[in-house]
Amino acid sequence: MMQTAISVPVEHVLVLAVALFLIGLTGVLVRRNILFLLMSLEIMMNACGLAFVVAGARWVQADGQIMYMFVLALAAAEVAVGLGLVLQLERRFRHLDIDAASELKG
Amino acid sequence: MDLLWLIPSFPLAGFMILLLTQGRLPNSVVAIVGAGSIGAAAVVAFIVGSAFIDAGSMPYSQLLWAWMDVGGFTPEFTLYLDGLSLVMVGVITGVGFLIHLYASGYMAHEEGYSRFFAYMNLFVFAMLMLVLGDNLLVLFLGWEGVGLCSYLLIGFFHDDAENGLAARKAFVVTRVGDTAMALGLFLLFRELGSLQIQTILHSAQTTWPDGSVLCTSIALLLLGGAVGKSAQLPLQTWLPDAMAGPTPVSALIHAATMVTAGVYLIARMHDLYLLAPVAQFAVAIVGLATLFISAFAALTQNDLKRILAYSTMSQIGYMFFALGVGAWSAAIFHLMTHAFFKALLFLAAGSVILAMHHEQDVRQMGNLWKRLPIPFACMLIGSAALAALPLTSGFYSKDIILLTSWDYGTNGPWFWGLAVLAAFVTSLYSARLIFVVFFGKANSDAASSAKDGSGWNMSLPLIVLAILAVGGGWFGLDPVGDVLPDGGLEGAAHDPMLVWGTALVPIIGVLTGYLVFGGGQLNVDKLLETSLLRTLRRFWFSGWGFDALYDRVLVRPFIFLAALNKNDFVDLLYKGTAALARGASQLVVRTQTGQLRWYATSMAIGLAIVMLFVVGLL
Amino acid sequence: METTLFYLAASVSLISTLLVVTRTSATHALIYLIISLLSIAVIFYLLGAPFAAALEIVIYAGAIMVLFLFVVMMLNLGPSQMAQERRWMEPRMWIGPSILAFILFLEVVYMVAGSPVVTPGTAIGPKLVGEQLFTTYLLGVELAGFLLLAALVGSYHVGRRYMRSRREEVE
Repeated sequence: MMQTAISVPVEHVLVLAVALFLIGLTGVLVRRNILFLLMSLEIMMNACGLAFVVAGARWVQADGQIMYMFVLALAAAEVAVGLGLVLQLERRFRHLDIDAASELKG
Repeated sequence: MDLLWLIPSFPLAGFMILLLTQGRLPNSVVAIVGAGSIGAAAVVAFIVGSAFIDAGSMPYSQLLWAWMDVGGFTPEFTLYLDGLSLVMVGVITGVGFLIHLYASGYMAHEEGYSRFFAYMNLFVFAMLMLVLGDNLLVLFLGWEGVGLCSYLLIGFFHDDAENGLAARKAFVVTRVGDTAMALGLFLLFRELGSLQIQTILHSAQTTWPDGSVLCTSIALLLLGGAVGKSAQLPLQTWLPDAMAGPTPVSALIHAATMVTAGVYLIARMHDLYLLAPVAQFAVAIVGLATLFISAFAALTQNDLKRILAYSTMSQIGYMFFALGVGAWSAAIFHLMTHAFFKALLFLAAGSVILAMHHEQDVRQMGNLWKRLPIPFACMLIGSAALAALPLTSGFYSKDIILLTSWDYGTNGPWFWGLAVLAAFVTSLYSARLIFVVFFGKANSDAASSAKDGSGWNMSLPLIVLAILAVGGGWFGLDPVGDVLPDGGLEGAAHDPMLVWGTALVPIIGVLTGYLVFGGGQLNVDKLLETSLLRTLRRFWFSGWGFDALYDRVLVRPFIFLAALNKNDFVDLLYKGTAALARGASQLVVRTQTGQLRWYATSMAIGLAIVMLFVVGLL
Repeated sequence: METTLFYLAASVSLISTLLVVTRTSATHALIYLIISLLSIAVIFYLLGAPFAAALEIVIYAGAIMVLFLFVVMMLNLGPSQMAQERRWMEPRMWIGPSILAFILFLEVVYMVAGSPVVTPGTAIGPKLVGEQLFTTYLLGVELAGFLLLAALVGSYHVGRRYMRSRREEVE
């Protein structure tokens, strides 16, 4: 495998990570469909992983990638359970509107 | 004389025994305990009294124990015996014993026999503390105690709600007087530093000049208390309604003893009134007004006991009047004789009412003189004394009062005139009482079948009291004269014409009464039908409209205010706090929409604000 | 030249991510998400983290996104769903979150800007990562295993079809 890497200003990468994170956040706040909600969450987690990796690249340590792996494991677990919940909700309400699941109101 | 403490202890012991056994004793034992305790107290009072007089009537005080010691205020439980308190003790225990004896027969068929005697004994104890107290605190203890017992005994037949209302009325009205008295006591303590009566009387003369405002106000406040307890103007409305209680109660409390407590108080604090002529004048005015008003009211009443109640009010008015015009010993003398003949009248009335199967309306009675001989004789003697016919004890006492009033200041003759007019009316209604109840034709079946079923324990007190009502005038009251400023019953010499005129007035009154009510020769029916007389009669019948006046002026506004405050604005503080918390909570609950996106939004907003802090822009 | 590659990949990821959050069809959104992930993988590779890049493609794009697609297919979201999405996504709904995101963006840029730090440009291969992973971060690995086990059991339980009748049995 090619052991190459480039030198980029860390702040640019961080800004990218933040931008992706914020796009994901907007998606979470705007979309009513549960599936899109989960997708936006995935975007946010991915952006976090990017930030970790770039940090590891800056300090030339493996810790960044290791942290990224943990994030990945977390994302996988969360998606599994989340999609199970989506299935249950769909069976219950026959639609995917997150605003309907508001029984904790008050 | 060391036995002085036994006098109040016997009734107290009687009360405790009856309280603790609570009706489990048989009636005969209860009667022995209840009446016997008062009898024992009477015996001890006689022994102590004779020892006192033998020793030259020197005031004697017996310290029982120190009551409290609070910041330099150290009242003690001390009993004080002098001529005045001896007379009172004699009246209370003597007449009280006779009334208890009578009550043991009268109340024999009533429920609550033991409770009745317990309350009566407690009353006698409180009354004795009132008159034997060395300082005003013990007096006040007795004062409140008799008020309580009066309430308990008026509402004795508690099944009927009307009795409870009458008892409450009595208590509330006397409470107004009690408050005034308490204020007087507070002022006295603040100004003179002690509540001991003799100390007050001596230091008052040295501390205050004649007619000082402070002394006058204290005297007026004490007068307020006396007015409440003795049912004088303006606090007299409770006495007629208090007749709802059993007849022995009316006899003891509302004729012989409790209502005389006010007279005793003023007589006891006589130095204060001598220093405050305005207050003494007020006493005379109060007495005069009351005796005048109630005499006319008594003339129009139809209930036997109410007639006697208004007459009591009137006679106590005489006592106040006497105190006001300076006839101190005469007032006490009249107190004593009044106790005799009024108790006699009430007890005899009780026998009549029992025989009439609890019918109290005099219009239903008639022609009873043959059927009820002993009650008739007793009521005749009692009414004679009430009307102050010559040779009765009432005659002596009332005469001295009337003659002394003639000499009073510049308006003496006017006072005399009004008092004599009231005496005329007194004899008029006494005659009416006798003629309507005992003569004429029987107006109802109850009257035609009346039978005297009283035993020896009811007749004996009546006979003894009748003897006293006639012969009580012969008691010398020298011991009293040592205490009171006027030095005894020997008044100034008066114009013989005045003396004869004063003595003749009651006789004229009785004759008029005979003509109107007895024989019917003087027919006043036409006069009574006129609208003027009719309204007058209604006015007098309602006790000169005082009940209606108080209802309009005091009771209705109070109820109105209470209804306004139905949702208690003070509660608003607490309810308001709770409502505020609830309202705030409702506001905050709005943030819990249950919607995921809203929670995420709030988190994001929070993040933005925190970041501003981190960045350093805030 | 390599930095150009980086900026290119970065713009691709940005655009595709934007497209993800604005699509009405779930399938389209997922495809764009996969493209975004792939471009991120390229960036990882450029930063000298080939192992991370590989993981991104294999696990993230290859497993998690496929899981999403399975569920979307299972739910059978048709044109009616797309119409509903269009109704839900009014333009005025975007205003608030956009402002919020913009504020946050400005804050972070303010914090990060001006620092002249540059990545050294040394690659860290899988061997190095593995060495670190199984010595220093061994505990973390085991915990991640716990997490995945819990997720496994949880998702099985949560996704069961006959939950309602089971509840009735218990009661």
